[in-house]
Amino acid sequence: MASNVANIILILSIFFSFLSNLSFLKKKTQLSIRLFNFSSFLVIISFLLLIFYFSSSNFSISAVYENSHTLKPFFYKLSGTWGNHEGSLLLFILIVGLYGTLFSYIYNGNIKFKSWVIFFQNNIYLIFLIFLIVKSNPFDLIVPTPNEGLGLNPILQDPLLVVHPPFLYLGYVGFSLTLSLVLAAIITKQLDSTWAKISWPWVVLSWVFLTIGISLGSIWAYYELGWGGYWFWDPVENASLMPWLASTALIHSLLVLKIKNKMQNWTALLAIMTFSLSLLGTFLVRSGILNSVHAFANDPDRGVFILVIIFFITTASLLIYIFCSSNTSNNKISFFSKENFLNINNLFLLFFLFIILLGTIYPIIFSAFGETISIGPDYYNTILAPFIFIFLIAMTIGPILKWTRNIGLKDIYFLCVIFFTALIISFLIIFFTKRNELILYLGLASSLVLILTILFEIYKIRYKINTINFSRLCSHLGVGVFILSVFLNSYFSKTKDFEIQTGEIKQFDNLSLNLANTNIYKINNYLEMKTDFEIVDGDKIFTLKPSIRRYFQPNQITSETSIKPTLLSNHYLVINFPDLNSKVIGARYYYNFFIHGIWFGLLLIIFGGILSVFKKRI
Amino acid sequence: MNSNVKKRLYFFLVSIITTLVIGKFVFDSLKINSVYFFSPTDLKNINEIPNGLIRVGGMIKIKSLSKKGNQYSFIVTDFKNEIMVNYTGIKPNLFEEGQGAVVEGKLNTRTNLVATKILAKHDENYMPKEVADALKKTGNWKKNYGK
Repeated sequence: MASNVANIILILSIFFSFLSNLSFLKKKTQLSIRLFNFSSFLVIISFLLLIFYFSSSNFSISAVYENSHTLKPFFYKLSGTWGNHEGSLLLFILIVGLYGTLFSYIYNGNIKFKSWVIFFQNNIYLIFLIFLIVKSNPFDLIVPTPNEGLGLNPILQDPLLVVHPPFLYLGYVGFSLTLSLVLAAIITKQLDSTWAKISWPWVVLSWVFLTIGISLGSIWAYYELGWGGYWFWDPVENASLMPWLASTALIHSLLVLKIKNKMQNWTALLAIMTFSLSLLGTFLVRSGILNSVHAFANDPDRGVFILVIIFFITTASLLIYIFCSSNTSNNKISFFSKENFLNINNLFLLFFLFIILLGTIYPIIFSAFGETISIGPDYYNTILAPFIFIFLIAMTIGPILKWTRNIGLKDIYFLCVIFFTALIISFLIIFFTKRNELILYLGLASSLVLILTILFEIYKIRYKINTINFSRLCSHLGVGVFILSVFLNSYFSKTKDFEIQTGEIKQFDNLSLNLANTNIYKINNYLEMKTDFEIVDGDKIFTLKPSIRRYFQPNQITSETSIKPTLLSNHYLVINFPDLNSKVIGARYYYNFFIHGIWFGLLLIIFGGILSVFKKRI
Repeated sequence: MNSNVKKRLYFFLVSIITTLVIGKFVFDSLKINSVYFFSPTDLKNINEIPNGLIRVGGMIKIKSLSKKGNQYSFIVTDFKNEIMVNYTGIKPNLFEEGQGAVVEGKLNTRTNLVATKILAKHDENYMPKEVADALKKTGNWKKNYGK
């Protein structure tokens, strides 16, 4: 009964979305926009209903039965709504609708352009709504009604993971609006700098959400998985990084379009590519082709369906681009100009993208021939590292150049000083730590060049607050800090495996670990072994309390890491259950150097993006 | 030759060469870092034993797991052929006899692997996909293994 109401609402929203298309074709533009908005309002209602079913543990609905349990804390019952394939798809559609509706309320310019944007947005929305109803309806019933649910994967029961998927989706799906904006501009022949100014906040907003989503996932992986790292070049992580790289390239070409009215075609292609990669990410993650915590559905039919949708949306967009875009003449630009460095930036980002795409789909191609392989993280590290250096240098030089004009003598002088300083600082670091590695040296030097240049720029223009592009400085500084921290972290971190019993003391370098206490508790839906480690690091004394849980429903084990942040590093400890009839606990200790810098860099990148969204339009 | 044509020709040549060099670099790295998966039967049948990192998957043979300090040794089997594995380090939870497992390491001989990693599993019902496929191949797949 309950699910009937929800199903009727969903079918009505398809109906209104369809009517919106009809009235658009009949040239009743205002009506078509209103119908679209009403339809997306209905989807919001149905999503609220789904939240209600999840929070009240209504097991007559199969999505609730498969992903919830009465013993689960209320908060996670709620988040279970989007912690499964069907619910997350409904969220996906809701956000497509939300972006369209928001745009229709905020933008009050050319009505013809606006109605085309809503038309494209409506069709993306409609395609996924049909997919939802036909292939993965969240309101499907299960007969007879079970008494108890199957439970949600415990490692997903984490506050960060409650917000991680919505942010990621706000990013991915935001690029549907970018695509609609580009297609509408191509058809109405106004893909120019005015258009770029209108689109700018929307593109950057989606990019900010995507960046936040990826960062949250990374932080979660750091403290929840207990592997000591923040990024594992897992195909699922790569799937989110690809649209991020494409959209970063898009933002930079949009900048050229906004200021110099150039690179129209390139911008259009990047917009199409960004949304296609977002969809590809959804496909890779959700189809079950990759084995991971993200793979909800192992239903090959759904995978095929999503592939068909990707193919259709991409092909349709490209056809519109090929047949409707107007030719633009390219003016000559010199090598040392801002535009050219933005071109170079674009090429680099696309190169990184290509490398990651190759590494991600290579095993999938192999599996089609019956071979099972996996690509080790060294593939990415060895290939990307040498290009990161050149990329950072280009990132340093590009922004201080003038548009179109060549580099000036003063700039060269200024750059030389900075280069020299960075080389000396990195040399000193290498010298005092006795780590004679070329890659480390290059990594430190190139990221320091970028950081120092930006700090100097901020110092130089500190009196002319109005003219500074704070968002660019902030994000680029973030990239510099991020890369610097990545290098420091990967070269100066340490890890140690050991076995220990209660009362025993282990000694590594200057560090001594003493397992003082072990206690086992039975809590709600899991059994937990808690430990107290007393750590003495030089003259500092502190306690780490790692624990491990065995969940009953579903039967599963998760480690709760314990982390002690210090000024420059993290002490990080994970433990295992002891073997049967034994009191020996296996443990792994990580010394994570400069991990704060990584989070801080990400924060700066995100903050720069937010500044740019809300900056006054010129 | 027209100077513009010459310029374009150079540009074309340089891009082709750069693409080829980078392409070779990328594919070599891809090859070096590919970790192939084998079942114990696969290892018996191949002509040349691989000398890089590989993954081997199957079931951990009952009563084969022994431990000395933090050194483990056990037998991975697909019920047709088996391979002896030595591993030093921390044993993941849920790594028990009679369970499916994937180990990563280098071959010592055709029937002995020195593992550097035992792939972590998150729940006890979960059967690595590679292992399931390998067991299906030898006809020893039972429904109650996976979910």
